[in-house]
Amino acid sequence: MRQFVRTLLMSAIGAAIAVCVAACNSQTGFSGSVGSTPNGPKLPAYQILGTTGTPFTATISDSRSFWTLQGNVPLFIAICNPPSAEAQMTVTKTSADNSLLSALIITGNHIKDTQSTTAPFGTVTVQIGKQTSVPSAASPDLRIFLSGPLKTKYQALVEDIDTGFIIGSVPPTLIVFDTPNGKVDATFFGPNNHTTFTADMTLNGEVVVPTTSGGPNLTIRQP
Amino acid sequence: MKDFFVYRIALRLTLPFIVAICVLIGGTTSAIAAKTARVQIGFLGVPPAGFQNVLLNVVAVRINPHANVAPTNGGWQKIPAPPGIGGGFNAELQIDLNSSQNVPQLFNTAGVRPGNYRIAQLILDSTNPGSLIPNCPGPSADGCINYPIQLVNANGITLSATPGGPPLITTANGTLTSFVLQAAVTITKFPTAPGGAYTVSIVLTPTANVAIGTVTGQVTVTPGMGSGTSTTGKVRKLTVTAQAIGTNTTIATAPVKAGILNCTAASPGGCFTLQLPAAGPPPPSTAPFGTLYDLAVSGGADTYAAARLQPLYPSGSITANFAVTGNQTLGNITGTVSDGCIASTPLSSATLQLLVPPDPIAKTKPLPTFCITSPEQCISVATANTDPAGNFPLPGTATTPTAFANVPILAKSSKGYVMEVTAPGYDPLFVLAQPGTGSNKKGGGTCSLDGGVTFNACNLLMTTGYIAGAFAIVPPNPGQTALVQVFAEDHDTNNIESALPMGIKVGSNPNVTGCSPPAGSVCANFKLNVPPSIPIGAFDLFAATIDTYQGVADPYQGHSIVAISDVPAPAACATVTVPTTTDPNQVISCVGHGSIIGNVANADLGASVVLEKLDPEGPTNDNEVQITSSLVQNQSPTDSDATNRYSFCAPADTYQVQKFQIPSPVPTVVPSASPTAVPEGTPVAVTIPPPPDAGGPSPTPTPAIKCPTSCSHPDGTCPGICNFVNQPL
Repeated sequence: MRQFVRTLLMSAIGAAIAVCVAACNSQTGFSGSVGSTPNGPKLPAYQILGTTGTPFTATISDSRSFWTLQGNVPLFIAICNPPSAEAQMTVTKTSADNSLLSALIITGNHIKDTQSTTAPFGTVTVQIGKQTSVPSAASPDLRIFLSGPLKTKYQALVEDIDTGFIIGSVPPTLIVFDTPNGKVDATFFGPNNHTTFTADMTLNGEVVVPTTSGGPNLTIRQP
Repeated sequence: MKDFFVYRIALRLTLPFIVAICVLIGGTTSAIAAKTARVQIGFLGVPPAGFQNVLLNVVAVRINPHANVAPTNGGWQKIPAPPGIGGGFNAELQIDLNSSQNVPQLFNTAGVRPGNYRIAQLILDSTNPGSLIPNCPGPSADGCINYPIQLVNANGITLSATPGGPPLITTANGTLTSFVLQAAVTITKFPTAPGGAYTVSIVLTPTANVAIGTVTGQVTVTPGMGSGTSTTGKVRKLTVTAQAIGTNTTIATAPVKAGILNCTAASPGGCFTLQLPAAGPPPPSTAPFGTLYDLAVSGGADTYAAARLQPLYPSGSITANFAVTGNQTLGNITGTVSDGCIASTPLSSATLQLLVPPDPIAKTKPLPTFCITSPEQCISVATANTDPAGNFPLPGTATTPTAFANVPILAKSSKGYVMEVTAPGYDPLFVLAQPGTGSNKKGGGTCSLDGGVTFNACNLLMTTGYIAGAFAIVPPNPGQTALVQVFAEDHDTNNIESALPMGIKVGSNPNVTGCSPPAGSVCANFKLNVPPSIPIGAFDLFAATIDTYQGVADPYQGHSIVAISDVPAPAACATVTVPTTTDPNQVISCVGHGSIIGNVANADLGASVVLEKLDPEGPTNDNEVQITSSLVQNQSPTDSDATNRYSFCAPADTYQVQKFQIPSPVPTVVPSASPTAVPEGTPVAVTIPPPPDAGGPSPTPTPAIKCPTSCSHPDGTCPGICNFVNQPL
C-alpha cells in the first residue's frame, strides 16, 4: 500500500514536471550564470513586414551611424554595438500597388513602435527615443545577411574582439555591426539537424565572405 | 545491490512516465486536432471625425463559448495577427479605421473548435495600443502628428452576445466563418500637449458581414503522368488565392479540401470557400460598386489554373470551378537579377512572377507569348524575390517551399512559362522560363529572351536609365538636417515608377558645387533610376522631405513639396539632366503642416481625390504633378450620416485637388484588365494658410511650442499650430 502511494506521488510529480517543461518551451534568452560578466543592454531590432515580397528601401540608424539598404518583405534587422538605445528606421515602399508594409522596432521581445502603410511608394518612420544627434554613414559598414527557411527561429552570437552579442530571430536577417573593434565573426545556431542557413558578409559594399551554407549551425568570419 | 536499486527505481518511474506522456499527448491533441473550423476576422472602422489616421495595433482577437468567462480561462480560441504580416513571435497588425470605413480590412484566418461562441475580445498591444493623427489644427498643439492613445476599457475590449439570444459566431467542422467587427472609437479626453495621449473608448459591434462576398468552387484534378513530387524538396498544398485584380497582392487564401459538405470533387481535388471584402453599399442598396478579384490555383503537384472574376458584391456570391492535371513533376526556377547598365550590380528588390492566362483564354490555347504581349490580361500564379546578392528565389518555410521550387514541368513541346521581372526604376523584363528538373537547389531552370528559340541560365539583366539634377532647398539651421526623397512617376499619372534608394541628407552647410540655386538655398543633388521605355515617354518628378517633429518620427512632412513636370525619358543606360531651377517658388522650404478636407458630391466607392502640385516652369496647361491621393471615406448606405469626406495632410502651400473616378464594374461582366481611374471634372486650386511662427526671438501666437517643430526658419522661429482649408468637390 505504501509503495502504491509512493508510486502515485511520483506519478503526480512526473506529470507536473512534464507540464512545466511543455509550458516553458517558448521562453528565450540566456539565463545561465557563467562567469560574472553583466548583461549588456537589450539590442534594438527592426522588422519590415507586411505583404510578402513587397520591395522597399530603408535607412536604419542609431545615435552614431546609419545604414541604407534595399530588400523585400519580410526582413529582420539587428544592430550590434549601438552606443545607446536610440534607434530610428525610415522605410519607403518601392512598389506602386496597395500592398502592406509594416515597420517595427523591438527591444527585448517588446514592440516599441510600429507604423504601417499601404500607399504606393508610402513611407513610414519608427523610432525609439528622441533624435538628438545627427548620425553619419556607418564606417566601416559591415553587414551579415542570413537567409534560411522562413519562420525558423535561431540564435546567433555575433562578436568583435572584445564584445559579443546574442541575437534571437528568424531569417531573412540583416545584421550590421556598428564600429567593430577588430574583425567580426558570427555563429548561427539552428533548431534542428534539418535546418540549413546561408550567409554572406560585406564590408563597405564589397563581398568579403561569399555566400556560405551550412546547418544546423553556421559560422561566418571576417577574413 | 546497485543494479537492484536501479531496477526498483526504474520500475517505480514507469508509471509516472506513462502518466506524463499521456498528459502531454492529451494536451497536444485537444489543443490542435479539434480546431477543425476556420474563422476569418475583419474590421470595419467607425473613427471619430477630424482625423487623418486612426490606428490600432491589433495583436489578436479571441473568442469563447461562455460570455462570463475569466480572462485566464483556457477555453479562449485565439485568432492572432498573421505571422507573415505581423512578424514571427510578437506579431501585431496595424489597422487604420479611417481607411476601412466602407470596405472591411481582413485581419487573419485561424482554426478554432467548432461550436457557438458568445464573447469576442479585441487584444491590442498593451504598451502601444495605437495612435491618432488629427487633421489641422490639432487638439491643443499641432495637427498631422502622432498622438498615442490610452484606453478606458479597463476590462478589455469585448463584445458579448445578448443573454438568451443567439451566439456571436457559430462555427462548424470544415467550414469558413467570417466575423467582421465594427470598431467604433470615441474620444473621452483630449491631450494637452504635443505628443500627449488621447483617452479613448472602443466599442465593438457585429456587422452581419454586410461588406463581405463569397467565392466558392471546386477544383477537379485529373491524374497526370508525372511523379507528383518535387526534385528539390516538399510539395506545397493545393490552394486557391484571391488577388486584387491585375496584381500579385494576396487578399485571402483558401485550402482545397475534399469530403466537405456539398463538395462533389474527389481528392486530391476538392472545394474551396473564400470570403472577401466587397465594395458596397450593401443591401438594401440596389447599386453597389463591387470589387474585382483574380483567382490563382497552385500547389498539390498540379498544373496551374487562374480565373478573373466578375464583380463581387456585398452578400453576393460567385462560383468558380477549375480543372487541373495532377501528378506533375515539379522543378525549380532559380537565378540572378542584375543591373544591365553597370556590371556586377545585383538587384536586391526585384520581383519575379509567373503569369498564366485565365481560364476562358487558356482554353483557346493562346500563343506561348500571350502573357508577354498582353500581361494585363494574365494572372500571377507564383511570385519570387531576389536577395541582397540578386539571387532568386528567397527560401520558403521548413514545411512550405517557395513557389518557385514547385513549378510543374511542362511538356517538351512547350516554350515555357512567361515570367515577368520588375524592379523599381527598371524596365519590366519578360522572359520564357523552363523549370529545372535536377536536384540542384541553386541552378534550376533556364530562360529565353528570344521567344523560346534559345534557353540559358536565368541570369537576367534589367535595363535602366537615369534622371539627374538638383532640387533647391533652404538649408536647415545648424544642428539640424533635412532628408529629401525624390520620386519619379509616369507623366500625367500617379503611377510612381521609382524613388531614391536613400534620401538626400542636407545639413546646414552642405558642400555642393556645380549648381546655382536661387538665393538663400542650396542644392540637393540626385540621380534617380527610371525605366527608359515607358510608353508615355516622360516623367514627372517631385521632391518631399522626411521630417521629425520635435525629434520624434513625423508621419507628414513640414517642408514644401516641389514638382518638376514632363522630363523626357532617357535612353537605356543614358542620363537626362534636369536644369536647376531659378524660380524662388521652386525651393523646398520650411512651411509647416496643413490639411485639406472636404466633401465629394455624388461619390461612390470608385471615387478618389488626387492632390496635385503645379510646376511653374513646366509646359503650359500640362504642368500638374500628382502627389498623392485620398479615398472618399464614410460613404454610409443611409444618406443621413454619410459625409463622403476626403482629407490630406500636406505642407502649407498651394495645390490643386482633382476628383478621379474608377469606372463602375459592370455586373456579371468579367473585365479583361484592371480598370484605371480617370479625372472627372476640373481641378480646383486650394491654398492652405501657413501656420503662425512659434518660438524664436519674437513673441508668437503659440509661445508654448518649442522649436524646431517639423523644421525651423533661418531666424530660429518655426511653424506653429497648423491650419486647414475646406474644399468641397
